[in-house]
Amino acid sequence: MEPLIEIRNLKVHFDRVRAVDDVSFDIPRGQTLGLVGESGSGKSTIGRSILRVQNVTDGSIRFHNGAEPVELTTLRGQRLRDFRRHLQLIFQDPYASLNPRMTVRDIISEPLTANGLVRDTNQVNQRVQAMARRCKLNVEHLRRFPHAFSGGQRQRIGIARALVGHPEFVVCDESVSALDVSIQAEILNLLMDLQQELGTTFMFIAHDLSVVAKISSLVAVMYVGDIVELAPTRNIFFAPKHPYTSALLSAIPRINPSANFQPVKLPGEVPNPAALPPGCRFQTRCPHARERCRNEAPAWREIDQDHFVACHFAGELALRGADDSLPAQALN
Amino acid sequence: MAEVAIQTDTVSAEPILDVQNLAVSFRSDEGRVRAVVGVDFQAHRGKTLGIVGESGSGKSVSTKAVMQLLPGNAVIEAGSSIHFQRSEGGPVDILTLGKNSPAMRAIRGGDIAMIFQEPMASFSPVYSVGNQMTEAIRLHRAVGHREAREIAVEMLGRVGLSNPATQVNQYPHELSGGMRQRAMIALALSTRPALLIADEPTTALDVTIQAQVLELMGELQREFGMAMIFITHDLGVIAQIADEVAVMYLGTIVERGSVDEVIRNPAHPYTQGLRAAIPDLSSIEGRLIPVGGDIPNPLERPRGCPFHTRCPKRIPGTCDAESPAVTTLSPSHSVRCYLAQ
Repeated sequence: MEPLIEIRNLKVHFDRVRAVDDVSFDIPRGQTLGLVGESGSGKSTIGRSILRVQNVTDGSIRFHNGAEPVELTTLRGQRLRDFRRHLQLIFQDPYASLNPRMTVRDIISEPLTANGLVRDTNQVNQRVQAMARRCKLNVEHLRRFPHAFSGGQRQRIGIARALVGHPEFVVCDESVSALDVSIQAEILNLLMDLQQELGTTFMFIAHDLSVVAKISSLVAVMYVGDIVELAPTRNIFFAPKHPYTSALLSAIPRINPSANFQPVKLPGEVPNPAALPPGCRFQTRCPHARERCRNEAPAWREIDQDHFVACHFAGELALRGADDSLPAQALN
Repeated sequence: MAEVAIQTDTVSAEPILDVQNLAVSFRSDEGRVRAVVGVDFQAHRGKTLGIVGESGSGKSVSTKAVMQLLPGNAVIEAGSSIHFQRSEGGPVDILTLGKNSPAMRAIRGGDIAMIFQEPMASFSPVYSVGNQMTEAIRLHRAVGHREAREIAVEMLGRVGLSNPATQVNQYPHELSGGMRQRAMIALALSTRPALLIADEPTTALDVTIQAQVLELMGELQREFGMAMIFITHDLGVIAQIADEVAVMYLGTIVERGSVDEVIRNPAHPYTQGLRAAIPDLSSIEGRLIPVGGDIPNPLERPRGCPFHTRCPKRIPGTCDAESPAVTTLSPSHSVRCYLAQ
């Protein structure tokens, strides 16, 4: 898989709080990387670091467009402003993220004009209308203000705004979590269609694991500032190698719970990111923790092709995935 | 003698809460918004009723009416009734009680407790968790300050806080989201309510904590034998916690029944659409099937069946003319849809 973005040893610290603590991974071009983990695990901080709205403490973010890769962490001034056209964000709350005093046409056109991509008004209008149509918005309504639209329509306005300038990379931070289920499916379909048409690379941050499974080609699982597992979606969901991933999957409420359905109970609380335990950061709650886990932090290694994990005993443990039609013993 | 036996039997099967024909509308500048349109539901001791619905379905308004917590511009229409069996003092129609009458204040937080989605908004930030718990306990139970504090510590321990004797002195901001939500459950249950209304109590929580909270609520329900009304938009959560489920759309219950029947075998096109729209882990590739259309503006409530504007199976001339009556599919499953008639 050809990477669009290579992240190496990324660290974002807020005083003693290690929000992102030495993370390395690639985001493949034209695909969607899902990022899951509990609140406070550092998902949004990674997204914001790539968008350069968050300063990083250390590490490298290399962006491959054109012949020479660009190091994002050191871009400054005009070069950074010029680069911003390649990066976009789709927000969580469609009510808070649209300026109520701008018309929908002005909202959607802003990335084109602010980044100086298109200067001619007719061309701006054409681009806005074309993107609005793609996002299934009625072009007759572009002169209206956001308050006239429902939540689902507003989120489509937010998507049109993010994609109108054809950015290479878009972070969707909980972009469907505020929507009703009947609307959510439509927005997910729209994002998948637009990716196919435009070849956009997405980073999809969400706490709803079923949604992430649907939209992502790869999934990374975070736990208190570190990615503990990253693999193609099917592997993460049906052959997880990290005990934390397995515990997360077991906790998804099932519509058709089988007799084997049993959430793994993690004892204790998530550790304070300013005072992490020694060794593996998951050892205080891990049902499989042994002596080695308490002393030595596990290395980040590729256990299978494209399947990365940070666990001393990955591959040796019998872990169950999201498929609980099988009893636990039948796996591995 | 036999007659007496039958009578006691019917008494024990009587619902603790019986809401009949509840209709609520809101006065607004743009006109009258009908939020709840003739809804019936019951809660039974030791059982959980799940109410599923999306924004504007009236699920929160219906339960806030039970607590008399509706804002000043809400109007409860004539013909509505909310009968509640008080543990002391027998049955009352809540709607005949004044909002701030002594009886209503004893019921609210005492006989019926409520927990909300956002625990930070339900606790006062300037008092410790223990202070707020002892205040509620002393209001509703005849105990002294010391005993109330002991109950508070015990309840915090019951909901799984690791160090309740210390945490009772902490302020809400000092607890994590999951701990706060559990502290709120402890607060709600510390008065030993006969009915607990939970409005999206786990929606803001991470999955692992959600699983813990759901299990805890089930455990405490078995222990105290209370009735529970659980409001959510998540069918997975309903499948896990509820015995019975009512599906609401635009202020009406469109389908109701046992969880097994409604979720495995949905009869209303809206329930079927909801089920199909949810990403399912058993098929993670391919596209989703959206319900299509948007939830109508509450000011422009459609005529006839409220779902007909989005329904893929609507019968023109029938569904958009008159609201369908309830059709009984089995003793524990009913639906409001012409297709089922």
